Amino acid sequence: MSDDRAFVEWREVTKSFGGKAVLKGMNLAVAKGEVMYIIGTSGVGKSVTIKLLLGLLRIDGGEILFDGQRVDTLPESKLAPLRKRIGMVFQSSTLFDSMTLAENVGLPLRKHGKLGHHASLVEAKKRLEQVYMGEYAERYPAELSDGMRKRAAIARTLALNPEVVLFDEPTTGLDPVSARRVDRLIRELAEKLGVTAIVVSHDPPSIFGVADRVAFLYKGLVHVVATPAELKASPDPIVQQFIGGKSTGPMETPGF
Amino acid sequence: MIGEKAIHNVGAGAVRVAQEVGGIVVLTWQVLRALVPPRIDRRELFKNLYKMGNKSVPIVVLTAFFAGGLMTLQAGPFVKKLGATSLAGWGAGYAVLREIGPILIGLMFSGRVGANNTAELATMTVTEQLDGLRALAIDPIKFLVVPRVIAMVVMLVVLTVLGDLVALLGSSVVAKVMLDIDWSTMYYSFVDNLKPADFLTGIYKSIAFGGSIAVSSCYFGVTVRGGAVGVGKAVNAAVVAAAVSIMLLDFFLTYLSSH
Amino acid sequence: MTWVRTRIENLGAGVASVYRAAIELWLVYVGTIAGLFRRGRNSPRGELTRQLYSIGNKSLVFIIVTLGMIGMVMTYEACMQLSRVTGDYSQVGMQFLRLIISDMGPTLTALMLATRVGAGIAAEVGSMKVTEQIDALRMSGVLPIDYLIVPRFLASWIMTLMLSVIGATVMYAAGGLTAQYNFGVNPNTFFDLSQIRPRHVILFLVKASSYGAAIPVVAGFCGLRARGSSEGVGWATTAAVIGASFAVITLDFIISAAALFLTGGDL
Repeated sequence: MSDDRAFVEWREVTKSFGGKAVLKGMNLAVAKGEVMYIIGTSGVGKSVTIKLLLGLLRIDGGEILFDGQRVDTLPESKLAPLRKRIGMVFQSSTLFDSMTLAENVGLPLRKHGKLGHHASLVEAKKRLEQVYMGEYAERYPAELSDGMRKRAAIARTLALNPEVVLFDEPTTGLDPVSARRVDRLIRELAEKLGVTAIVVSHDPPSIFGVADRVAFLYKGLVHVVATPAELKASPDPIVQQFIGGKSTGPMETPGF
Repeated sequence: MIGEKAIHNVGAGAVRVAQEVGGIVVLTWQVLRALVPPRIDRRELFKNLYKMGNKSVPIVVLTAFFAGGLMTLQAGPFVKKLGATSLAGWGAGYAVLREIGPILIGLMFSGRVGANNTAELATMTVTEQLDGLRALAIDPIKFLVVPRVIAMVVMLVVLTVLGDLVALLGSSVVAKVMLDIDWSTMYYSFVDNLKPADFLTGIYKSIAFGGSIAVSSCYFGVTVRGGAVGVGKAVNAAVVAAAVSIMLLDFFLTYLSSH
Repeated sequence: MTWVRTRIENLGAGVASVYRAAIELWLVYVGTIAGLFRRGRNSPRGELTRQLYSIGNKSLVFIIVTLGMIGMVMTYEACMQLSRVTGDYSQVGMQFLRLIISDMGPTLTALMLATRVGAGIAAEVGSMKVTEQIDALRMSGVLPIDYLIVPRFLASWIMTLMLSVIGATVMYAAGGLTAQYNFGVNPNTFFDLSQIRPRHVILFLVKASSYGAAIPVVAGFCGLRARGSSEGVGWATTAAVIGASFAVITLDFIISAAALFLTGGDL
């Protein structure tokens, strides 16, 4: 399923953990500027898929391409340029506990943007204001709610102006209001800044409110790639069971 | 059958120890390579120096005072029996500067700063903050480990100098209060019998101890697996590894310094 | 002035929290002693054996290696010093043994155990605390101290005594080998037990059992105080190592000083 327009592409990717195959030759191509959602049940390998792209985990077989270059073969020491172009927002936010929000956002600016400590903090405050967190710049992550931490984490990821942003379950664990705010932020990124967003999620309002296209991961393969409207209209019983959230159906889920 | 199982257990234990030692050696190499050229994150370095010093000074001062006193308590009765009170400071001071000072201060430093460092890094690892750094194209070894290793080595040397002085004070206080040996007797006993080499041997040792405490505490912090239980186990492993390496290094350095 | 006031307030808060911690530590201690007499009702079967194994057997190699090393180093240093002054090694073994039995043997063993056993106990108990297993114990009508601390207390007490004997022996033997290999001291001269008096042995037993009792109580107390998640467990483990080590050094100082008074300076 090679695609000329592909900006990010997984080709026949396999990955297993301790003898248990998670990805069994999955293919997926994401075009520039699009918001692609990767959905599926827990443990199906959604987070693994995006961590493989950044080299946080290593593939067992296949290829991963970014902007026409193979990236899965790069050693850890050569990954820095890639990681400046591709940002990631982790499920657990991963803000650094010992730093204020401004220092957190300022860290990549200081490390890669040739800014001094104070200049990085000034710039960081601006970035935090863009995600409506300006007034919390001097606070520590532990003092804030999950939704606030998530927004600060997004600001930190955007600090390096990445071309692709990976979101790992950005709305999981957030209250519905915070979740929709994060959704709006993702949509704005794509529309205002032309950022390519790859979002791992199993939150239906988020999927149907934000996605341009959706890839449904099932049994280690991409079961279907479709627009949200196509997905809703799909006659496939497995897709219908998942988006309908039914406990019974044809879907095979490990452990149940 | 029991014998077979025991042999199997010993073998498995040896393999695990070898893996950990290998990992620590690899980390040491990575730290050394990151030092050339020396691009150290100065903010992290000073932050850690301040934090580590703040945390460990009170406990080190108390430990050193007791350790010095204990040396006099042990040497005192023997010295008094022989009527050679002018040698009390020699025995106590020699033991403090060369052995007990660096070892006890190293152990306490490992318990306070090393363990705390492991806990902090382990918590960062299990909450994916290290992956967070890597995703920001920042090398966790250069950014987190290198400044901590440098801060720990520097801090332990400073603490050993401070601790040596406090320990000598402690042994003089105990000599005065419990054995009725004059301040001046102790003072001249130190000055006449202790050589700069005694003091320097202790400092060399503290550099080596600081390095091994730092690298093992960072190693077990960044390689932790499995949540809160894992963090506790990592801290446990780090302090044990530090204690063993302090004793081993002490042994080798003592031989080296006298050959 | 505000600076002074804040300082005083901080100091006051510090003293208050130390005072509260001391009370809690005392309660854990009393609870453990009381638990010893309630044994059988709350302790799970086989737990003592399991703890004896994990505290004792698993520390054996660690104790042998560390105490062996330090035994060699101390003898080496002592002989080096003597070779510069008198060159008479006849007293080394005798005095070394006296030092090992009345102080170094139990104290260094306990310092090593404070790191390994103290950290282990705090990590286990702390993990149970933050995963709410301790609350689950309470809900099922089991006293956490009886269930968790009492078996560890007994095991640590017994094993610290035994490991101190082993540690002291290894230290002495390692010292003897060093003296013979490096300085040609006759083993018969070195391994001379004639200077050992019953009071040295009593001091050995008093020290070893005090340390053995202090380590699990301090470590258990730190574990039970753990809050939060992984951070809390890390904090508890750190506190246990430092608390147990410091308890050993302080007890050593107090007991040594008391012994010196009781024997009128002739130890």
